[in-house]
Amino acid sequence: MPASLVRIIAFVLISGAAIASRLFAVINFESIIHEFDPWFNYRATKVLASKGFYEFWNWFDPTACGVIYNILHYLHLPVDIRNICVLLAPGFSPLTAWATYIFIGIVPGYISRSVAGSYDNEAIAIFLLMFTFFLWIKAMKQGSALYGTLAALFYFYMVAAWGGYAFITNMIPLHALVLTLMGRFTNRLYVAYSSWYAIGTLASMQVPFVGFQPVRTSEHMGALGVFGLLQIIAFVELVRSHVSSKQFRRLLFVSVIGPVFSARWIAPWTGRFYSLWTQATPRTHRMAVLLMDLHFLIFLFPAGVVLCFKELRDEHVFYFAGVMVRLMLTLTPIVCVSAAVALSSVFDTYIDPTEPEVTEDDKTDVAKKDKSASTPASGATVAELLTDMKAKPAQRGIVGLDTRGAVILNALGMLLFFVVHCTWVTSNAYSSPSVDGLHIIDDFREAYYWLRENTAKDAVVMSWWDYGYQIAGMADRPTLVDNNTWNNTHIATVGKAMSSPEEVAYPILRKHDVDYVLIIFGGVLGYSGDDINKFLWMVRIAQGVWPDEIQEPQYFTPQGDYRVDDQASPAMRNSLMYKMSYYRFAELFGGGQAQDRVRGQMISNPGPSLDYLEEAFTSENWIVRIYQVKKEDPLGRDLKSANAFNQGKKRKRTRPPVRRRGLVSI
Amino acid sequence: MVLPSWLRLPAILFATISWSLVSASTHSFENTAIVRTVDLGGSLVHVTTTYAIRALDNGVNRYIVSLGENEARSTSWFEAKLKGQNEPLSVTTRPLDPTSDGTHSYVVELPKPLSVNGTVNLVVETVLTHATYPWPKKAAQKDDQSLKYEGDLLVLSPYKTWTQRIKVRAPAPRIISYTTPDSLDEFTTDQVATKSGATVTYGPFSNIPPSASTAFIGKHQRHVVVHYYFGHPVVEIASLKRVAEISHWGANLNIQNDIVLRNAGPTLKGQFARIEHQSQTFYNRLAPHIIPSLTFHLPPGIHSAYYYDLNGNVSTSRLRVAPSVPKAAQSNQYSTLELRPRYPLMGGWNYTFALGWDSPLADSAGYDASTGFYVLGVPVQTVIPGAVVNEAEVKIIFPEGATDIGVFPPFDPTTEQRSTHITYLDTIGRPAVTLSFKNLTDKHDGLIYVTYKVPLSVHLRKPKAVSIAFGALFLVALLARRVDLSLSK
Repeated sequence: MPASLVRIIAFVLISGAAIASRLFAVINFESIIHEFDPWFNYRATKVLASKGFYEFWNWFDPTACGVIYNILHYLHLPVDIRNICVLLAPGFSPLTAWATYIFIGIVPGYISRSVAGSYDNEAIAIFLLMFTFFLWIKAMKQGSALYGTLAALFYFYMVAAWGGYAFITNMIPLHALVLTLMGRFTNRLYVAYSSWYAIGTLASMQVPFVGFQPVRTSEHMGALGVFGLLQIIAFVELVRSHVSSKQFRRLLFVSVIGPVFSARWIAPWTGRFYSLWTQATPRTHRMAVLLMDLHFLIFLFPAGVVLCFKELRDEHVFYFAGVMVRLMLTLTPIVCVSAAVALSSVFDTYIDPTEPEVTEDDKTDVAKKDKSASTPASGATVAELLTDMKAKPAQRGIVGLDTRGAVILNALGMLLFFVVHCTWVTSNAYSSPSVDGLHIIDDFREAYYWLRENTAKDAVVMSWWDYGYQIAGMADRPTLVDNNTWNNTHIATVGKAMSSPEEVAYPILRKHDVDYVLIIFGGVLGYSGDDINKFLWMVRIAQGVWPDEIQEPQYFTPQGDYRVDDQASPAMRNSLMYKMSYYRFAELFGGGQAQDRVRGQMISNPGPSLDYLEEAFTSENWIVRIYQVKKEDPLGRDLKSANAFNQGKKRKRTRPPVRRRGLVSI
Repeated sequence: MVLPSWLRLPAILFATISWSLVSASTHSFENTAIVRTVDLGGSLVHVTTTYAIRALDNGVNRYIVSLGENEARSTSWFEAKLKGQNEPLSVTTRPLDPTSDGTHSYVVELPKPLSVNGTVNLVVETVLTHATYPWPKKAAQKDDQSLKYEGDLLVLSPYKTWTQRIKVRAPAPRIISYTTPDSLDEFTTDQVATKSGATVTYGPFSNIPPSASTAFIGKHQRHVVVHYYFGHPVVEIASLKRVAEISHWGANLNIQNDIVLRNAGPTLKGQFARIEHQSQTFYNRLAPHIIPSLTFHLPPGIHSAYYYDLNGNVSTSRLRVAPSVPKAAQSNQYSTLELRPRYPLMGGWNYTFALGWDSPLADSAGYDASTGFYVLGVPVQTVIPGAVVNEAEVKIIFPEGATDIGVFPPFDPTTEQRSTHITYLDTIGRPAVTLSFKNLTDKHDGLIYVTYKVPLSVHLRKPKAVSIAFGALFLVALLARRVDLSLSK
């Protein structure tokens, strides 16, 4: 069976390319989890592996890694759990490739989420996403309850693995709805959708994280609505086949008015879903980025869409339903599928009619491509498309070998460049660990490790939420807020503490039992992603909750500049963040001018002094600075005067001490 | 020296049986002179005591060295030699008998019995651990470091001693204070203590009666304290877990050390200020209690060395590998690893890390074709000069299916355990032996010799297991392709 052999070889090649392109980070740097978010998953997996499944189920998901870990250990392969986590994403990518059956395998948009080391559920989720769609289409084509159920099971797994499951929750109903609106409602659709929705929803409600959301929040309402609609339509179809058309119309009128008022207490569309549709990851903001991620696929995409519509069948509408999705992650597979459709039809048109054996060459040359060209009965949607196209070859004949050659060469060249581009993007853009920007600069890990080794086990660390997971993962200390903190007030509390003067911040810190405050300061090295540059966000978020106490304009100079030098506004200069950042900074320059390398401004020489906190650790390049919150003075003085006393300053008597009032008040 | 539990019963038996024998011989020697030198250090204090012995009986060859209770407790290395010779003498430890003399006895077997008036010079080397402590207990980042040594003054002996002298030598002449014991006039006419340079000399004390008795200790033993500056960090390894994995298929000996490092100097007063540390480093005036880096001497010929901690690889180390030397050849070459922790270790700070390397199996293993035994030497530890290892655990993992395992440590471990270790491609797991030690010093640097047999059939187990696994996979695939489960054609 040469076709099957070629297929296997091609698949192996795709898998190899898909995995290899994701290992740049591990080879260049090391097996470490970079990015901020995945640290949480890593910790969760550790709990799963060490404490068992059921205890863990009450908490959260990322099961895949834990299961793999247990299986490998059962097979006497004691792989470190960190390595599983790091390599899971690349490992899943060929599976995804197989599920979509084409060259999504190395598209940067997907790579950005599945580069080794960004241990994230999204890598698995994309695979699940594709597979659920595949099963759904299969179910719909055959009207099979079995495939509907399978789709529901994978949907369930996806719900458990990734918060973005709402994408499927809405995409499938949307597809069903569009089909219905286009008058393509069939019993097959009804069976497939009903089985998927009923089982999928019930299953997803078993996930503690989801709970009763499927019947409460509006992001799940679409699915419920379509489900209801389909029931009504099916019922109506049934009724229509039994009653006369006049009676039917009256019935319809009565039944439509009723349910309109029922949806009162449905929560507004939650932010997470918005973010899926609108802004999503910061990377997708600009067109240039879009181009970098998808390269020439972006041009092929419309062509593919057009081709889909040329011979409209149910599943083709499905691709169109995804067009509005801007999230790179979910956009990627769609673009890939469309582009593959376009490309393969180009090849079919130009190769097939005269010289069938060229197809063989093509297959070996461009392993990814031939995939779709040579898959007869596997049932993948694209493959079916293609067999369809193959079935009616060359209505418009191609004249001349040179024309054909030029087109094919062009296409091959484009494919080649595409591979080169993908490789380049992966090695450069997506694979450099943000934990340590350069080889030598390892300040983050240095400071986190110090926290881990030399502070009390239960010491609470306060930092801006970006570093929450990293502190939890690498320093193993509880944090006040982290990347998963949805409660705005918590984040605002941290923002307020950071932007208030010491004496205001101190009670906040003590109230929350904060032992250490961690900040990121890039002024020595010129690391621009530091907390002073994020400071305005802290101010703004704090202002959102306490508009009377924190006002953003106060942190600017009267001219409206954001400055940290001697022209800085008093609010800026008294803020805890400013003081912690520049504490003893000027001393680094001896007697000379102290320059902040990020902002290029001169810092006044007697720098800020701290009374309520003390410097506990500063990393080698000053990027991470950790301050310890002092305990209350044992003599009951406020820490400011206690500090002044310790430094031998005479206490200024401004007003007589407040005398205690008698407690008896008759 | 603490006796391991499995040694204790025979030791007690031995003690009771031989007590009469030995005590009968307590008057068979006298010490014409004893000189003790105490070399003060950080975690370790090296003590060298030279006994000039004269026999009072014929044919006596068992000499008893006595250590007081405190001294014995902190002694973790004991070695007796004849002066000028390298061969250590065999020593039997006898436990403390509190009712009798209040001392620990070490029975030294002299190589040949002495006749009356025969003399010999016995050199006893001991290493004390945890005999010093930082004083003041806290030091700020730029402060100096000073330690206090506390110990008993007089050298005890069950025999009469004509004269003895004790020298306490500090690493530098800066001795802050030392105790001048009083009411020892019975034994000395001179000044009891004199300081010259870095050395404090106690004595000479003359005409000391047999002193290994509670009565003498209670009356005459004096406690001395020497307070001195110490210019090096006090390095302490709280725990060392070494795993040596022997692989015949890879012809490789992998050694991994999980190390918990502690700066046992004065704890940091206040907080760590990076700016001060940077200026100290810049002017090359680092305070002595800070550990910025460590140097390890690793075996020659190693490769694929790694140094990481819980947060991943640490990029701040440098390794210079010496070429590997043949087994038989004696060589002073070693690979040097300069290892910098992620952060400088201030007083009281901890740092946990793993350090490992691979080395060719041929460098440390041999095969005896006549008996079929493999012989292999695994170093107990990688010595950091001046550091004490509080708890050490050496686990030696043998090849899968190894039989007739024999383990010969250079000194007695506290415990020895057998277990099974399972790793890649194992079916039944590998036998492993774990030896535990306490308070290792820089003298404890011997090799643990292990012997074992690996039959050929066992060598072939792995390829067999792999081929069976793959065969099974193919078979399943084969069947899955052939079997048709569909109901209708």
